[in-house]
Amino acid sequence: MLRVGNPIGDMKEKTDVLQGTLALMVLKTLDVLGSLHGYGIARRIEQISGDLLTVNQGTLYPVLLKLEQEGSIASEWGASENNRKARFYRLTRDGRKQLRAETRGWEQTAAIIGRFFAVKAEDLE
Amino acid sequence: MTSWARRRQDEERLRSEIEEHLAFQTAENVRAGLSADEARRQAVLKFGAVEAMKEGYRDERRLPFLETLMQDTRYALRRLRNAPAFTITTVLTLALGIGATTSIFTLVYAILLKSLAVANPNELYRLGKEARCCYYSAYCQEKEFSLVSYDLYKHFRDNTKGFSELAAFEAPSPDFGVRRSGSSEPAQSYPGEFVSGNYFTMFGIGAYAGRMFTANDDRAGAPPVVVMSYRLWQQRYRSDPSVVGSIFYIDQKPFTIVGIAPPAFFGDRLRNYPPDFFFPLNTEPFVEADADLNKPDTAWLHLIGRIRPRTNAAAVEAEMRVELKQWLRSHWGDMSATDRVKFPEQTLFLAPGGAGISDMREQYEHWLHILMMVSGFVLLIVCANLANLMLVRGMEHRRQTSLSMALGAQAPRLVRQALTESILLSVLGGMAGLAIAFAGTRVILLFAFPKAGGVAGIPIDASPSVPVLVFAFGVSLITGLVFGIAPAWMATRVDPIEALRGVNRSTMPTGSLPRQALVVFQAALSLVLLSASGLLTATLYNLENQNFGFDQDRRTVAMVSPRLAGYRPDQLTSLYRRIQDSFSSIPGVSAVALCTYSPLSGNAWGSGVWIDGHPPPGPNADNFALRDRVTAGYFEAIGNPVVRGRGISEQDTAASRHVAVINEAFARKYFKDEDPIGKHFGRDGVGSEREYEVVGIAKDARYLTFDLEKPIPPSFFLPEPQQDLDPKTGLPEIDSSHFLSDVIILNKPGATVAEVRIRQAVASVDPNLPVIWVHSLKEQVAGQFRQQRLIAHLTSFFGLLSLILSCLGIYGVTAYNAGRRTSEIGVRMALGANRGQVVALIVQGAFALIIFGLLIGLPLTLATGRFLGHQLYGMNPYDPAVTLAAVLALALCALAACLIPALRASWISPSEALRAE
Repeated sequence: MLRVGNPIGDMKEKTDVLQGTLALMVLKTLDVLGSLHGYGIARRIEQISGDLLTVNQGTLYPVLLKLEQEGSIASEWGASENNRKARFYRLTRDGRKQLRAETRGWEQTAAIIGRFFAVKAEDLE
Repeated sequence: MTSWARRRQDEERLRSEIEEHLAFQTAENVRAGLSADEARRQAVLKFGAVEAMKEGYRDERRLPFLETLMQDTRYALRRLRNAPAFTITTVLTLALGIGATTSIFTLVYAILLKSLAVANPNELYRLGKEARCCYYSAYCQEKEFSLVSYDLYKHFRDNTKGFSELAAFEAPSPDFGVRRSGSSEPAQSYPGEFVSGNYFTMFGIGAYAGRMFTANDDRAGAPPVVVMSYRLWQQRYRSDPSVVGSIFYIDQKPFTIVGIAPPAFFGDRLRNYPPDFFFPLNTEPFVEADADLNKPDTAWLHLIGRIRPRTNAAAVEAEMRVELKQWLRSHWGDMSATDRVKFPEQTLFLAPGGAGISDMREQYEHWLHILMMVSGFVLLIVCANLANLMLVRGMEHRRQTSLSMALGAQAPRLVRQALTESILLSVLGGMAGLAIAFAGTRVILLFAFPKAGGVAGIPIDASPSVPVLVFAFGVSLITGLVFGIAPAWMATRVDPIEALRGVNRSTMPTGSLPRQALVVFQAALSLVLLSASGLLTATLYNLENQNFGFDQDRRTVAMVSPRLAGYRPDQLTSLYRRIQDSFSSIPGVSAVALCTYSPLSGNAWGSGVWIDGHPPPGPNADNFALRDRVTAGYFEAIGNPVVRGRGISEQDTAASRHVAVINEAFARKYFKDEDPIGKHFGRDGVGSEREYEVVGIAKDARYLTFDLEKPIPPSFFLPEPQQDLDPKTGLPEIDSSHFLSDVIILNKPGATVAEVRIRQAVASVDPNLPVIWVHSLKEQVAGQFRQQRLIAHLTSFFGLLSLILSCLGIYGVTAYNAGRRTSEIGVRMALGANRGQVVALIVQGAFALIIFGLLIGLPLTLATGRFLGHQLYGMNPYDPAVTLAAVLALALCALAACLIPALRASWISPSEALRAE
């Protein structure tokens, strides 16, 4: 039997969610650590989020480009700690503003969802 | 190019970033104890699919639209190449539709939309909302003042502060006899125009060569100068630089050519014969024996002014209204009683003047709207047809489409592909359409505005200009969208699972409803076009075959111009005598007579009449009658029967009593219950009533080329040798109606007279007397209906085209349906149905659509009749015969179109039909 459905469509949905959260992680990482190259960002996200990027470190780069085009981050060539040529990313003023806004949004969402999960059936009686 | 370069740069950056990332990861892995190779392998694995990532990266770059567009275009081109028959048919059909619309738009643009080739045309305002010709009363004009006398022009020019320049130019378009000093050739006639000295300054145009004249050249007593058109300079004098500064004799008077106008400048209005000479207003008395310049009571000038920056046109208009009243007040003594009564209602309006005096716009606007609508309808039918074709194509591609979807193609992308294909087709069709439009416009211009030898034709260029190109491109794009949207939408209505079943076996009637709707729509539009062309063709027939009241057979008209040859009024009678004698000596000529204006020549002259013994007409009474001046034997020569009394004859000399022949309409209107013979009337106000004695009544004949739907107006005819007397002084008046220009030549039955004999006859009288043209009276009459003929023929052509296209549509749908029902037909025949029943089955389906289309189309044809309205001479706009003929034509053609596939379906043998897929 052939699979009926639209595999491309399904995949797209998943990456959209992933990219949304990834962007926020990138912004937060740069906020905490200042200027950092792509590999460094990937490592940091890996360390904190566990396996989210383990399989697909590559997906980071489209997100970096998108953020740069939106003006949230800027980049320039520089030398890394072991003297390799690398592209360094840093947060811009807009990026900082966006991060603050998104952080607030996340906290609100998380709080609401948290309250929902905390509610037990008897509380509603 | 920049996007391509940026893309290269981005790819490069991505590549090096990936490399750098992998190097970091490899080094990390080596530190963790892996071998160099394994470390690299793990790093690549961890990075993930590079190509997928690149895809994501490119998507982020936000340029994918262009790239997919190019991909889609390449794909569409490939698909079109694989179906050459389909592509060629589609492009040709489109080219016809777009070409027709574009060529009509070329005319619409040139006549209705285009501004004059002058500086900042939006700053120009003209006096008068209506375009008027040629002479009006200077003291009193109906509805609005749109023509002014020279005196009033000076008043406006010197007092209106809102204009930086206010120029005047004459409303009539006279011809002049022109001969270069030192040339031995006889004078040739060219159109010219008297304009004020600031005319060129006001328009803001400089000379192509030499200089333009200025206000300084426009003074009484200034040396006479003239500006020549670029066209004449280039075509007649081969751009000879010595023309500037040389002397030309114009109506026998010496003028210096001071400059050549720029190539794009064709004067202050679009007209059939644009002027080749521009003279300062003050040279008019120098050229014309009967000059208008200093006649305070003759309004013959148009005004156009350039408004000052930041000035409101409404304020200038108000200013000028006050000035008009002031001026009229200061001429109170010259005004007639009627003028004084109408004084309070005199007013004026300013209108945008960037397009000049738009008399052509007013004349052609309605026709162009009709043609634009007709060609738009054809384009809609073309769209419907192509949509139908594309739907069939979509059906054939259904299997492919479902397969693509099953393999994961996204619906929007498929829609985009289908749309790309139809837009590509329409752009190709648009390009071919431009070629058709170019040829079509040339043909239309040739028929609508025939050229006279040596004189400039209408300044409309058939080759596409930027607005026309934009229009054609826009129309192509919209067309592509219109006929492409349905099939594109259909493409997404496909269930991928169908790819697995044999789609072609499916009996789902997908797409049959839109296709049937399209056929209904086409039939309705065709009916409208057919009935419109029927109405217009019948109108043309009525126009050409009406009773004109004179005989067209065996008659030739030659136009001569004694005025151009410099004759004085007192020499005219003997000149006409000699012309008549000279013509009569040509073998085959039976009679010759001259008149100021022959019937339907396009020119006419009229005046008010005062009847002896009747109270003078009140200020609002209509006492108008047409006036013509003729030589002896005129009524016999033109074949206009004199029903009572006598015509104009040799006994009417300068010395005999002044007589007039009136027509029946004159007798009916002004001598209701009296016998007109022996009664008197005059044309010069109170006191002139005893000027003419009525000696005869002629049958009503058509002279005017307009108001054809109205009854023939009252007319009177005066003998040429008799000069009217001024009622105040009792002395003979100067009256330019004595300059007769039309010679009527009646041949003996069976005889023909060559044009060259006519020209020789004129030359034998006076070699300097120009013959402007010679043609048969039949041609003269037919020439008046050129516009109507062109419209009728174009509409008929479009109607026929729409009929063919609709029949193709009906044929297509019927054939498709018959094909789909092959197995059903097989079953029916196997069960005993005969051929007739099968044919009826198929035809019934198709005919239901036609009848539906007719039902929708019928109310539309009524609306069309209303829209054509007053353009229909002697026709009922809802003429049942025409509608019936249109319905029958459509029904018969449609029957033929669906009978073919029906018959073919019935010939199939039942066993074959059942085997068919």
